[in-house]
Amino acid sequence: MEGENICYKYDDGGSFALQDVALRIKEGEFVAILGGNGSGKSTMVKHLNALLRLQYGELRVAQINVRNEEEIWRLRRLCGMVFQNPDHQFVSAVVEEDIAFGLENYEVPRDEIPARVRSALAMVEMDGGYEKRALHTLSGGQKQRIALAGVLALEPEIIIFDEATAMLDPGGRQEVVTIMHKLHRAGKTIIAITHYVEEAVAADQIILLHRGRILACGRPRAILTDRDLMRAAELIPPLPVRLYYDLQQAGVHLNRCPLTEEELVEAVCQLRSKI
Amino acid sequence: MRTLPTGQYLPGHSFLHRLDARAKLLCLFLLMAAVIGAPSLWGYALVLAVVALLILLSGLPLRSAVAPVRGVYLFLLVIWLMNALFFDGEDVLFSWGIIQLTRGGMEQGFRVAANVVLVLILGNLLTMTTLPTQVAAALASLTKPLARVGVPTEEVGMIISVAIQFIPTLLEEAELIKMAQTARGARFESKKLVERATSLLPLVVPIFVSAFRRAEELALAMEARGYRYARNRTKRQANPLALADYLALAVCALICLAQFFVRR
Repeated sequence: MEGENICYKYDDGGSFALQDVALRIKEGEFVAILGGNGSGKSTMVKHLNALLRLQYGELRVAQINVRNEEEIWRLRRLCGMVFQNPDHQFVSAVVEEDIAFGLENYEVPRDEIPARVRSALAMVEMDGGYEKRALHTLSGGQKQRIALAGVLALEPEIIIFDEATAMLDPGGRQEVVTIMHKLHRAGKTIIAITHYVEEAVAADQIILLHRGRILACGRPRAILTDRDLMRAAELIPPLPVRLYYDLQQAGVHLNRCPLTEEELVEAVCQLRSKI
Repeated sequence: MRTLPTGQYLPGHSFLHRLDARAKLLCLFLLMAAVIGAPSLWGYALVLAVVALLILLSGLPLRSAVAPVRGVYLFLLVIWLMNALFFDGEDVLFSWGIIQLTRGGMEQGFRVAANVVLVLILGNLLTMTTLPTQVAAALASLTKPLARVGVPTEEVGMIISVAIQFIPTLLEEAELIKMAQTARGARFESKKLVERATSLLPLVVPIFVSAFRRAEELALAMEARGYRYARNRTKRQANPLALADYLALAVCALICLAQFFVRR
């Protein structure tokens, strides 16, 4: 995925929602996109599957020029997208019918559809009797997994999660994050927009957006441990990073800034052994 | 006490629940024709017996099955009175100025009220034993021949299905907006009809805004999964009708024919 000078302005006459954005995402990468409200995260990812048409700049996704009208539907099949609210994505009341929706749109032969639905359900760990279930009987996390199954049934190479965990309770969030990582391990390119900085810790790359511009781009450790950068993006660093700086202020110096709770525990244990 | 649902689907495994939605829809049309074409009181008695049997076969509580009638009894009374007092008939029982109570008028009033009651119950039995999406799919399937003359039946089916899906979420949203406004001092419980109607006005704008937002999000999600208007899609294989469906259709057709045959 390669993009240069991407700019986008909505019709409402406001300022640019995206300005001079450049992108480089490798195949099989896990990329987290962070930024406050109105930073342009959703606007940016909606260009990747041409839900928003490119106004300025250049963008190629899986060798497809997103401006090429004839390739748009192939692009959308390659680049699936899961949205924030599962209830706003369903077109049917029954699990198997909803998952089959995308397959029917791409004219997948009728006799192949049941197997593809079952396989998609297995990928989101919901195989075993969920096909005929009414969607309104499922929990928030399960609904979002069904929305994801609807995308996976099309066998995309790239999966975009547009704040897909934002409306879920902690249990549901964990379910979706676990599957996200599983898909990444299976070789899919994952692009996850999130407000939860903890979800970005395991990413290969973080893109930090602020007011439509890329503020920084790099490995999670470099981005998330930089307090000034996080403040500039109006984000709060993960808890272990905050504790590291609080301890430093109190005169306690850890070996290195921890990113995860495990690293924090290890650093504190090392400190205790020194004492 | 919990209010009994009206018209809302109640999951179940009764004979009516198991019938194919297409067969149920066709049966509804046939029975509606039978009601409207009832030639005499005996004709109504026949349809009433069928409706009673259907209520038994639906496994629904009697109160739920006839619930829509309870909401319109005043309307039914007005219909009966209007017909009884203003119908031009020869067999006058009582007269006062332009008002005249006639036997013919009373009978006509009964007919109209009975038509409304029976059609309401039949419609209610259909919606309480069939998922809205199944009704939409059945409609799309039954109107399929119209596609040959250029009617976009697939698209209309999709629109109806999506619209039906939206109803519960919009009702939920309306309830949330109402609660938020109640928390800020709005009153919706006035006993005066005009005050009550006026108090609902502030709900209209936020509900519309919410509906448009949701519609936009759903449109994006559908587009992201490859939906294109008026393009070919894989057709779902409709399950063939079962023996029970054919039997139900045959019985309803016979009742319908009997009503018109007796008339002659």
